[in-house]
Amino acid sequence: MAGAPGAALGGRSTAGWELRQPYDAKIVALALLVALGLGVSAQRVEGQRFLVLTWEWGQSLVGLRESSQIGRGLARMGESLFPPQLAERTEISRIENFDPERLPWFSRIERQESREVRVNRQSLQTETHVEIKEFLVQPVGYLWRVAVKMVETLEIALWGTILAVAVSVPLAIGGARNYTPSPGVYAAARGLVSFLRAIPEMISALFLVLAYGFGPIAGILALGLHAAGFLGKFYAEDVENADRGPQEALQAIGAGKLQVLWFGVLPQVFPQYIAYTLYVLDRNVRMAIVIGIVGAGGIGQELKGRYDMFNYGHVSTILLALFVTVFLLDQVSARIRARLI
Amino acid sequence: MLSFVGVGKVFPGGPRALQSVTLHVPRGQFCVVLGPSGAGKSTLLRLVNGLVEPTAGLVRVDGVTVTRKTLAAVRPRVAMIHQQFNLSPRLSVAKNVLAGSLPAVSTARALLHLFPAGLRRKACDLVARVGLDAEHLHRRASDLSGGQQQRVGIARAFILDPAVVLADEPVASLDPNISRDILALLRQASKERGATVLCSLHQVDLAREFAERIIGVHSGEIVYDGPAADLDDATLTLIYHQTKPGSPVPAPAAIATGGRR
Repeated sequence: MAGAPGAALGGRSTAGWELRQPYDAKIVALALLVALGLGVSAQRVEGQRFLVLTWEWGQSLVGLRESSQIGRGLARMGESLFPPQLAERTEISRIENFDPERLPWFSRIERQESREVRVNRQSLQTETHVEIKEFLVQPVGYLWRVAVKMVETLEIALWGTILAVAVSVPLAIGGARNYTPSPGVYAAARGLVSFLRAIPEMISALFLVLAYGFGPIAGILALGLHAAGFLGKFYAEDVENADRGPQEALQAIGAGKLQVLWFGVLPQVFPQYIAYTLYVLDRNVRMAIVIGIVGAGGIGQELKGRYDMFNYGHVSTILLALFVTVFLLDQVSARIRARLI
Repeated sequence: MLSFVGVGKVFPGGPRALQSVTLHVPRGQFCVVLGPSGAGKSTLLRLVNGLVEPTAGLVRVDGVTVTRKTLAAVRPRVAMIHQQFNLSPRLSVAKNVLAGSLPAVSTARALLHLFPAGLRRKACDLVARVGLDAEHLHRRASDLSGGQQQRVGIARAFILDPAVVLADEPVASLDPNISRDILALLRQASKERGATVLCSLHQVDLAREFAERIIGVHSGEIVYDGPAADLDDATLTLIYHQTKPGSPVPAPAAIATGGRR
């Protein structure tokens, strides 16, 4: 456009106006500094080794290289994980009060001969002994056991969630600025919520196992307390941010605090609460598996035991069960959400 | 009887919202408060149920002075209808109407949503009275149109048979025809029950049509108090003139045909 700079349309001068570039040399220098820092950190976390190993694996995949460390590792894992162990074999002599006439459903007895060469102490000759061991074989016995453990894990997650909701609701009311009974209660509730959220389930489970022993109790407490910290924070923030209109309408006619909360706030925040609670349930199922590894009951405890005994066939069955469970859980929680919201 | 005696209100750090208002509204009167935005109409209404505390003077409802101590007794006798309806959006129409009776219901009953049979009956009657049908009872309030929501707001206001109904721009977000229906409903319902109505409005024509008495407020002061019939152009100029020095006084005719709209 023709015209002197600074002399704009309509007689208004734009002389003092300026549109700067979005970043200057200082910001570029800062970005370079950050990149340098990340470079140093990458060295410390074996970034180079990661790249080398992955490069070698890529080469071996397209045939430029005979083998690679990653390939060998994965192959070894694949071999040991396959096939999944479904059956359970138990030596009959170890079963108390075994009654061959009344076998459990779908089970059979297998005989196994084993030859042993022993030296007869009197004749000093070697003799071959034939020993027959009897096994009770239940074709899906182990799968059943995994299912039972998985149900236990789900129960731990469910009770952990119930505990979390029960603990977090009073904490949320105390920790919502507009409904707290007093500033002291507010500070205490917010503090406790932060504290609960700060402790990972895995860590609290370690200590709770010491207190309550191996099994589900430690798991339920660990999951419930951590999730209470999460829910307490989010419930409280939703209460604080709820639309004031309906609350004011009920306050104006003299409804009590709890009544206003129940009729003016809860209906508004309910869909969010359902979403948070389902998320916590979902997360608790996955965490219940993990904390089983430190002895807090359920399928995780079984997984840890089998892994430590190198029973990779069993491990593989457990892993498959985990995938199926988490997948089903996703479907179910999506449906519950759609129905309730 | 609703009385304001020398009532003043200064918001902390803010302007003077009301200065020395004295006003008596006899029982059963339909009284409309007119005035430009920021004149103090809302403050005047909110003083009655203690949502705003006066910095000077006092407000009496049937002889009881509104203070923090008497609030619990006064509030259930003073209903309020809001510009944005202020219903709980996800609650059903029936629950919203019943929520108007919360001060008369024990907290335990309220938490369990177990309202006494008498109140449930009354809620049905009121929903019918405000022109909604049985099918609306269980619909969510947010699924209704604006006019229907305000009908629910009126039903909620009347469930405890209030002595005073405060209507804070009840039709400001509704279209003209529905506004007329809603105000007619409000007037009839309050006449049937002998309730005093203090209603702030922006539309001068609606005020003329429905008010028995009009209070004109400007900059926190009452500049007109009289019957709707006496509201002439000069008075409107008095109510709606701009206070900024040098700005022209608007032509009254422009205001008379629809206030802010």
